[in-house]
This record gives sequence, structure tokens and C-alpha cells, in this order.
Amino acid sequence: MMTTGKASWKFAEILAEPGIRERWEKVRRYFFLRESTYDMTNRCNIRCEGCYYYTGEKQFAAEIGDEEAWRKLLLAEKARGITYAVLAGAEPSLVPHLCRVCQQVLPLGAIATNGLKSIPADIDYRIHLSVWGNDATSKAIRGASDMLLRQIDNYRGDPRAVFVYTFTPGNIDEASEVCERLALAGLPITFNMFSSPVGYDGPLRHSVESLRRTRETMMRLLLDYPQTVLFSPYNVVAHTEPLSLHDLFSCSYPRQNPSTDIGLGRSFRQYRTDLQWDRDAACCVPDTDCADCRHYAAGSAVVTARMYRHATDPTTFSAWLDYVDTYLAVWVRGYEKGPNLCDALVAPPPTH
Amino acid sequence: MSDKINETITRIAEIIINELKLEDVTAATFNPDLDLVDEVGVDSMDLATVALVLRDEFGIRIDEDDYPKLSTVRIIAQYILDKQSSGE
Repeated sequence: MMTTGKASWKFAEILAEPGIRERWEKVRRYFFLRESTYDMTNRCNIRCEGCYYYTGEKQFAAEIGDEEAWRKLLLAEKARGITYAVLAGAEPSLVPHLCRVCQQVLPLGAIATNGLKSIPADIDYRIHLSVWGNDATSKAIRGASDMLLRQIDNYRGDPRAVFVYTFTPGNIDEASEVCERLALAGLPITFNMFSSPVGYDGPLRHSVESLRRTRETMMRLLLDYPQTVLFSPYNVVAHTEPLSLHDLFSCSYPRQNPSTDIGLGRSFRQYRTDLQWDRDAACCVPDTDCADCRHYAAGSAVVTARMYRHATDPTTFSAWLDYVDTYLAVWVRGYEKGPNLCDALVAPPPTH
Repeated sequence: MSDKINETITRIAEIIINELKLEDVTAATFNPDLDLVDEVGVDSMDLATVALVLRDEFGIRIDEDDYPKLSTVRIIAQYILDKQSSGE
């Protein structure tokens, strides 16, 4: 796409290449985002195979439904520098009053939901609607009928909504029909990879072959639905390599990062429903097997944090900028993704 | 040596002020012993940005694993001088 072949590049030279400085200035305005995640309730209206929430100890934490307790927690979070809230397990739409409190204190955030129950429009967070295949597959894995139909009905025309398609070895060929239905409905979609919970060895775990097929499918969908799919070729690479995100990029969440001096290791916390947190379990998808983690939420932080190692040449840095531009479009209300700068499948840079 | 480190400190301070758009401070008034995270408010992405500009300026590579220990301008200056003297 741009100048290559030079042995070494200065950062200033990379920025001087066409299109790069503009995108860099666009994304760096959001470097102030500092996230923590919060399990809102231990209840869910469905049960999905391989659900990370119902793995490990956190599912047994007491549920605190008191709005003032939540407000006090979020105010303390804000005071220690948290600027972005991710409201997740088990199903936040069942406790909209608590989601509202979070948004009142921290205006930026996202809610991960199965989308079967609408979240009130005044809660102005990004809303991530999980999709695990077509409706037949969702019925088999999640036990709910007509999921996509109901999700689309609940969120048609809602600028908060982003659908998140989780690729498993069994639903790769169904992604196209889901993209088509969402394109017709005018709703955006991004991609996630099933990442096994610790100890999980079931059929949803990816293999080298399913990763290869997923990569091909993602690339085709990027071309077929450019107005619908929020993704980039580098997202495809980062999430379909045989190595996990941790192995590729050295995960910077506290669970894998002992440093408390700076970055996620210093600020990130994952609160359970009892409003407690445990540094040893703290990451965006606790109880996921780090050796199999290709989760979209993890990548958003982990790949972004590795800016330095991507600033080797204009192509690699463009790929990283595409990744960050995608992550911001998926997570930040009102952020518009630009055209991808790098069409090539760039290999993740080595650690050193 | 002290001239060299003072010169390096001043240049690092200029880069940090410029990149992070700090106001009400100049390279001459920047306290090189301030903790960049706790007292200046630098985060990991800020530090990565500064590290790239320092790479351009001083021709040294700053390992990502070293970020946590680069807590003040004076420590960064010494780190750079050590890297330069060891030829890394």
C-alpha cells in the first residue's frame, strides 16, 4: 500500500506517510480510556454452552442490587482514574437500574448482552449483542428460539447496537447469512472468537483448521459487507493465529501482568456481583484459558497496548492503526471507523 | 557527564511537554524527579508515544518490559545514556 523496503524507519517518517498521521491523531485522542469491568448480576435468561460467566467462582458471588452501593463504587472508580465501564455478566439487561447508575457516573462504556431484553434508550452505552450462529445453531447452543430475529427487532435503528459474532468451529459457514440479515437491517457487526474457559475441551474449542477457515471467512465478509462489518485485515490476523493473544502480545491484564506501575496492570479491575475483585483473576474474560484466548475484548486492550512494537514500518503501523480504529468504533458511542489503511495480512511483530 | 545528563534531561522534558501537551511548564522548570505516572499523569500509551519519539531522537530502542521502571525523566535520561554507551 505504501513505501516499503527501507531497512529502518523513524517514527516521524512513518507518520509522514500518506494517511497515517491523520489516523494517528484521530485514535490518539482516545488514549485516555481506562477500563474496568463489572459483573452486574448472577442471573441470565438463557444458558449457553461454554459461557465464561458460569465457569469458576465468580458465579457464586452474592448479587448486590442496591443502587447506592453501585453509585459509591463507580464514584470511587472514577476517582482512581477509570474512564470507561464494561458491564458484562451474567445478563446486564436484567438490572437496567444498575446499568443506569453506572452510566450516570461514567458516561463512556459498553454493555454485553444477549439482546433478548431491550436496554432502555436513556442508557447511552455501546451495546454489544452476542450472536453465536444462525437461529438453529443458537437454539442448539443457547437454548433460545429466533435469537437473531428478536435481537434485530429489539435494536433496529438503535445507534448504540453492535452485533458481535462469536466464531466457533461449528458456525463458520453461518456467518455470511447473519451478516446479510444485519446488512439488510442496517446494523453493524464485529467478530469475536470462541475462547475456551479453563478446563473446557468441548466441540467449540478452535483447531488449527477451524482457525484457517475462520480467517478465510472473515476476509471474505470484510469484502462482501464493508458497510456492515467493523473489522480489519489485521484484526483477522490477530484473532485467527494459532497462537493466542497472550502468546502473541504478552497480555497486559493483571491476571498475566504482575506490574502495578503503569497501564492495565495498575488500573484494571474486574468486579464481581458482590462488588469485590481479585487481582489474580482480573482480566476482561476471567476464567478463560489464556493459551486459547482470542477474545475480541482482550484484543482491544492487548493489541492496542503494543503500539511500540508495531511502529517498525508504515505497513505494520497502518495495520495497528486499523486495529485501534476498529476497536474504538466497536466500543465508543459516536466514533466512526475510517476505511482500513492496510489491506495486507501483516504478521504480528515479534516481542523483541 | 553531568552536562550530558542535564542536556538529555532537558531534551526529554521538551519531548514529554510537546507530546503530552503539558501546560504551565517548560523544560527549564520541569522537575526531572517527578514521578511521571503518579505526579504528571502519564499512562502507558503516553509512555509508548514518548518512547517512539525518544527512539527517533537518541537512536536507542526502549524495551516494552522496561516501561514500568522508567518512572522519572532523570531515570529515562540515565537509561538512554546507558543504552548509548553500551552500543544497544
